[in-house]
Amino acid sequence: MKYKATIGIECHVQLSTKTKLFAGVDNDAREAEANTLISPLCVGLPGTLPVLNEKALELAIRAGIALNAKIAEYSKFDRKHYFYPDLPLGYQITQYDEPTILSGVVEAPLPSGGSVKVRVHHAHLEADAGKSTHPVGKNYSLVDLNRAGTPLIEIVSEPDMHTAEEAKAYARELYLLMKYAGVSDVNLFYGNMRFDVNVSVSATDELGTRTETKNINSFRAVEKVVEYEIARQIKELEAGNNIDQETRGWDDNAQKTFPQRSKENAHDYRYFPDPDLPPVVISSEVVEKERALMPTMPALLRTKFSELSIDSAKVEALLEEPTIAHELENIIDAHDINTAKMIANWYSGEIARLVGEEEITWDQVIGASARLIDLVAMIDGGLLSTTAAKDILKDLISSEKSAKEIAEEKDLMQVSDSGELEMIIMQVISENQKAANDIKAGEMKAIGFLVGQVMKASGGKANPGVVQDLLRQSLGL
Amino acid sequence: MSNISKDDVKNIAKLSRLKLSDEEVTKYQAELEAILHYVEKLQSADTSGLEPTYQVTGLVNVLRADEEIDYGTSKKELLKNAPSQENGHFKVKRMVG
Repeated sequence: MKYKATIGIECHVQLSTKTKLFAGVDNDAREAEANTLISPLCVGLPGTLPVLNEKALELAIRAGIALNAKIAEYSKFDRKHYFYPDLPLGYQITQYDEPTILSGVVEAPLPSGGSVKVRVHHAHLEADAGKSTHPVGKNYSLVDLNRAGTPLIEIVSEPDMHTAEEAKAYARELYLLMKYAGVSDVNLFYGNMRFDVNVSVSATDELGTRTETKNINSFRAVEKVVEYEIARQIKELEAGNNIDQETRGWDDNAQKTFPQRSKENAHDYRYFPDPDLPPVVISSEVVEKERALMPTMPALLRTKFSELSIDSAKVEALLEEPTIAHELENIIDAHDINTAKMIANWYSGEIARLVGEEEITWDQVIGASARLIDLVAMIDGGLLSTTAAKDILKDLISSEKSAKEIAEEKDLMQVSDSGELEMIIMQVISENQKAANDIKAGEMKAIGFLVGQVMKASGGKANPGVVQDLLRQSLGL
Repeated sequence: MSNISKDDVKNIAKLSRLKLSDEEVTKYQAELEAILHYVEKLQSADTSGLEPTYQVTGLVNVLRADEEIDYGTSKKELLKNAPSQENGHFKVKRMVG
């Protein structure tokens, strides 16, 4: 039987505020000692009142703009009740039916070509729970509330994806959007983005029973979860079994999903509006003001970069560094296309390699932009070969010296001076009489050999175009 | 509508992490029914054309700057009332197997 898979993703994004969503407590729980970043509110003491962090709201608006979403004029906070030791209030403060970010759409390019369009159902603001650890061999768990109250937005997609590739591409696109919008540090290692992946398969037009695999923190794992769940569910159905609607976890070592005991009976969260938090009203002026402050987003950059005819894998690699992508955009806007193309190739080739090897930093690369543009001009003017230019990139970027200074120091300036080249050519011809005779006899292939010999004799500094012309003259062609 | 079964009571108790004896289940069954009967009376009021009231203060956009606030409480004080602690953590009944 032919099965169709349907995939929806919920993504939690940690907002990069200084303090928590409802308490003025440091938000950076990464390296902090347990329970040092807590307040009476964070531990749920009676008599405390939450007050919304204005920065979190501003970042939510930016996230909404990045998701091409409508921002709600009116939104409010609700209490989602469940009892768990890492949730001291006994409820999570979240947004149930009137979230700040309404429907949107994300278009993600696919490595195999084309793109996937995923509608965003909505995204809501909510406070994170604390962190629990479970010491091995003990009959107790330990709770650290440093993370309790950290601001998150949960982005809920429509079930618009049908393959593992699409799911991965959507997850990565969310990452880029949140990074460009500046709403999150998007550090996956620290769990700044966590994905819950819903998968179902069906051989008919009706949707099958879905499973939800929670807390995935890499794009690769999102892809693997989808592949695994599709295969597992088809196998179950083929064997005549039903799919249980359940929460599953992902075991990265075994590369398998496994059933998890769920926290609560299905959706018995007893939501109600939080009386402690007045509603939020956002005017269109506020949204437009924020929109005007947004940088050029990945979708538009891709369109601009497509003029450079560099391959899409390189474009995607450039987009990983927003400062570099925006610098390239500036270069495209201010210079000719060949200059931009040459620099784009350096960015995604030699320069990316040097940054990867920690020889230089992206900040230095940005600082060296004017000198890189001079370097391209030197190549265009025949003063430097592209190979020599590549060789001086590191020094050019890490020092304050100009391209000309470095090329002269390294004796790499290209020789186009015909007098100097003619001497070398005469010598090469006399040492390679056979090749010279072959050429005269019409074996034009041998000219490449002689050009190579001249280049070698010049220590790579000869301008190959000029050498070719002079050789032809000398041989009477 | 206001008939509450013993299973309903048990489910509510489970969601609230409460362990009830059979006598307590019977007792709360009656009490919860009484509460729901009262709510039924409220529900008979005509609310057509009325917006639900979530807030009575009329306030909107009560925001604070993204800055740390000194709440005047130490980690030690905040952990003080925990029935059990270890290495600066709240120590609780094991949550996972």
